[in-house]
Amino acid sequence: MDFVDYYAVLGVPKTASDDDIKKAYRKLARKLHPDLNPNDPEASKKFQQLNEANEVLSDPEKRKKYDQYGKDWQHAEQFEEARRQQQQSRQQYARSDAGDYDFSDGFGGADFSDFLSSMFGQEGGFRGGRQTTFRGQDYQAELQLTLRDAYTTHKQTMTVDGKNIRITVPAGIENGQKIKLAGYGSPGVNGGPNGDLYITFVIADDSRYKRKDNDLYVNEEIDLYTALLGGEKVIETLDGKVKVTVPPETQNGAKVRLKGKGFPVYKKEGSFGDLYVQWQIKLPTNLTDEQKELFRKLASM
Amino acid sequence: MQPDHLIAVADFCIYHHIEVSFVHLLEQQGLVEIITIEQSTYVQPEQLGRLEKLVRLHQDLSIHPEDLDVVFGLVERLEELQGQLQQLQNRLFFYEQLER
Repeated sequence: MDFVDYYAVLGVPKTASDDDIKKAYRKLARKLHPDLNPNDPEASKKFQQLNEANEVLSDPEKRKKYDQYGKDWQHAEQFEEARRQQQQSRQQYARSDAGDYDFSDGFGGADFSDFLSSMFGQEGGFRGGRQTTFRGQDYQAELQLTLRDAYTTHKQTMTVDGKNIRITVPAGIENGQKIKLAGYGSPGVNGGPNGDLYITFVIADDSRYKRKDNDLYVNEEIDLYTALLGGEKVIETLDGKVKVTVPPETQNGAKVRLKGKGFPVYKKEGSFGDLYVQWQIKLPTNLTDEQKELFRKLASM
Repeated sequence: MQPDHLIAVADFCIYHHIEVSFVHLLEQQGLVEIITIEQSTYVQPEQLGRLEKLVRLHQDLSIHPEDLDVVFGLVERLEELQGQLQQLQNRLFFYEQLER
């Protein structure tokens, strides 16, 4: 656990007056309040740190204790104990650990609340007063899917708060899309209703299919002769294999649209986007002398 | 008698240490819906998240009920834009893949 510089959190010097602290807190609270920063976990974290800093620095007694023990905060309790018993250990603590703390890491984060409660004990811990709710808190979760997962309506099991939840993911869900499961958040207090569970879907990039809304794009190779003279090519789609006609004199990069072979439209059963196949013409290599001769002939015609 | 699913405004206010008049003020601003049954007022559970957000903004940042409407409108707009931004990012990603 690192030392947390509450003055840095509030952006005030150590000499700041109570008024300066109040002002700095108000200004930052307006900027970082979670309700004004939806979907921004960073702001929520900073807001909590801000509240902790304010809780300590706006209370003269806590501020005094904080200033007094500063970098040797870990031993604050021991210090008091030692002083009460008038033992000599005091100097030892001060020397042995001085300089080991990272002061620059004011917004370190993870250990923030731990820091507060270790310095001021349980009762001094962050009261969590800012986010008090009668209704239970909402949970935010993230679910990783492959593009192929997202192609069909399917069930997923996830663990929230130690409980397994089985959810149905409708086909055609988009990357970054959020769905709400009412009542699956934390339980309410004093008879208040449960919070909700919000699940954000993160859809991984697919090596074959590129998605644009409900349309899919694939690159397919054809050889020079099929491109020039025309032919057929069997193409794999998410809906199975399809035989596609390649017209004669197909140009490199030409596209063909396979209607309804794209991605399902979210919550519109039976409705699909299109699949665009882009032809990549592969030129022959390692030509034999005879082939070269024939190409020369073609070139001179 | 309180219908099962409704939340009594009085209970809510005791829990949050706010005046009942504050909730009524929010209703007058059109920010929450209140249901009156036999002279008692209630809110629907679906409204509770919204109501608690309003209470927090008022308590934490001293935003007046009259101004909450504006703040709320802007936050909703922000969420809408975040959704649009996500869609545009998905699209941009698609075009970036084409260039690779």
